[in-house]
Amino acid sequence: MKAGFVPGVPLQGLLDAQAPAWRKAPAQVIGLTGTPSALQPTAAVRAEFPDGRIGAVKQVSVSALHNGSELAFRLAWQDASVDTGADGQDDVGFPDAAAILFPGSPGAPLMTMGAPGLPVNAWYWRADEDGRGRQVTAEGLGTTQTVDRDQVHARGRHDNGGWAVVIGRSLRARSAGAVAQLEAGAAASFSVAVWEGSHGERAGIKAIALGPLSGWHELVVDRKA
Amino acid sequence: MGKRQLAMVMDLNKCLGCHTCTVACKQLWTRDEGMEYMWWNTVNTMPGRGTPRDWEQMGGGFREGEAQPGRLPRRAEFGEAWKFDHEGSYYGGQGDASHLGIKGGSPDWGPNWEEDEGGGKYPNSFHFYMPRICNHCTHPACVEACPRGAVEKREEDGIVTVNEDRCRGYRFCQSACPYKKMYFNHQKKVAQKCIFCFPRIEQGVAPACARQCPGRVRFVGYRDDEAAPIYKLVDKWKVALPLHPEYGTEPNVFYVPPVGPVSYGADGDIDESKPRIPDEYLVSLFGPKALDALVTLKAEREKKRTTGASELMDLLIAYEWKNMFGGFDRSPEAVSVIHWRKKS
Ligand code: SF4
Ligand code: SF4
Repeated sequence: MKAGFVPGVPLQGLLDAQAPAWRKAPAQVIGLTGTPSALQPTAAVRAEFPDGRIGAVKQVSVSALHNGSELAFRLAWQDASVDTGADGQDDVGFPDAAAILFPGSPGAPLMTMGAPGLPVNAWYWRADEDGRGRQVTAEGLGTTQTVDRDQVHARGRHDNGGWAVVIGRSLRARSAGAVAQLEAGAAASFSVAVWEGSHGERAGIKAIALGPLSGWHELVVDRKA
Repeated sequence: MGKRQLAMVMDLNKCLGCHTCTVACKQLWTRDEGMEYMWWNTVNTMPGRGTPRDWEQMGGGFREGEAQPGRLPRRAEFGEAWKFDHEGSYYGGQGDASHLGIKGGSPDWGPNWEEDEGGGKYPNSFHFYMPRICNHCTHPACVEACPRGAVEKREEDGIVTVNEDRCRGYRFCQSACPYKKMYFNHQKKVAQKCIFCFPRIEQGVAPACARQCPGRVRFVGYRDDEAAPIYKLVDKWKVALPLHPEYGTEPNVFYVPPVGPVSYGADGDIDESKPRIPDEYLVSLFGPKALDALVTLKAEREKKRTTGASELMDLLIAYEWKNMFGGFDRSPEAVSVIHWRKKS
């Protein structure tokens, strides 16, 4: 898919999912699949989440815009329940969440969240941390690490029975970590993950977008307006 | 398998149900925000539904080595910390007409809700108290469940702790622990649990629940210290048993089962042949070995009574309080600072 060029519109102006720029951005519906139970890192997680219990959200509508230096994704999906986490929910609740994933180095595998020496980078939004995204890297299941909490911006709103979440960052990040360095005019690989809190989805229990490029989807950061 | 394993033995014949242990722990470790409902040490009147309510039906642990699915306990099943209406009763200007009450609706559960219930039928009613902490298991379901490796079992002493920097609040440990001794701090959004007072242990001081216990119920020490009480009670005399061994986690907290009084027969006379606490009940808690332990305990009691000498009874009586702690008998006052520190 293409990230449309909106020169002069700052990322802050795109964080509202209702911002006018998004109305003109073409959206693509991408199918999501639950991560396989067998890939979960511990036996207890596999026992609690057999196949069929993973991946409650089946599709997400994705659009993307950039202004030459910053890139934003708008994700929208149906979700009747607003789950903002454990507090006030008797400690058994989990927050809804979403992330955009990129390979942090060429050839990084998506399904296993990277591998030793082949990191992936996630831009992460969680309903109980709204407004403050996380920049995350991982080199395999269970190894995610928050690299910073100030470069990724993310804001969600829930109305008409669904979430609309915008997640964005500068194309080039100030980071020594293995995070994606993107470029206007170039193509990149990406994927999307969605966690449905009311189904107990967290960690590797999630729905992901599987694309044609060894699991990744293609993103063209369009230079033309 | 780590180098050594710390363990605790609790003698249920001596527990008074006084909750000094519970309060000692609360004062020391769980006073922060987000920890209000946490009681790393609980004491329940048995038989009963326990804390959290019906925890034995929540799953987790292992069966034939296979991890079993479990469920998360709700905060309400532990029992919320009650808030009291001090303002209203002291300053409300209502004098004697107002009594100190609980704020909000009246609660329907708490950490020892069934305190004065127990089991059996008059005149053969019975009860005993059962304190519980994390078992610092040899095969810890919590450690093995965490996909992030955030729950750790210390190599040097087998104490199980949460690395709060790695923890992301996923709570797989909480569903996996069959004893439901993992808690969730909803303020910090991390899992928290009994730490066997490791900052005290590292200074040679026994855990607060053990040192403060007025009933001399709790023995502390290394599992393999053959000269100390733990080894003697668990391995030599075989009178201390893990709770629910069938959960497969190999606990390192052991219980001396309660012998209890004898029964009354239908004629109102004492019936020596029948124990007041049904054997089946103790077997359901501690497995079939509970019966052997009871035989040994009764025989050694009798021996002590008739000859005045029994190594086992002398150990359990704990004449010298400090001998219960396997060498961890320094006074906290003798230690300059005990503080929570990160392992380097
Ligand atoms: S009792 Fe539960 S929390 Fe404690 S070590 Fe065993 S499995 Fe882990
Ligand atoms: S302090 Fe000792 S006697 Fe009192 S409840 Fe705790 S274990 Fe039982």
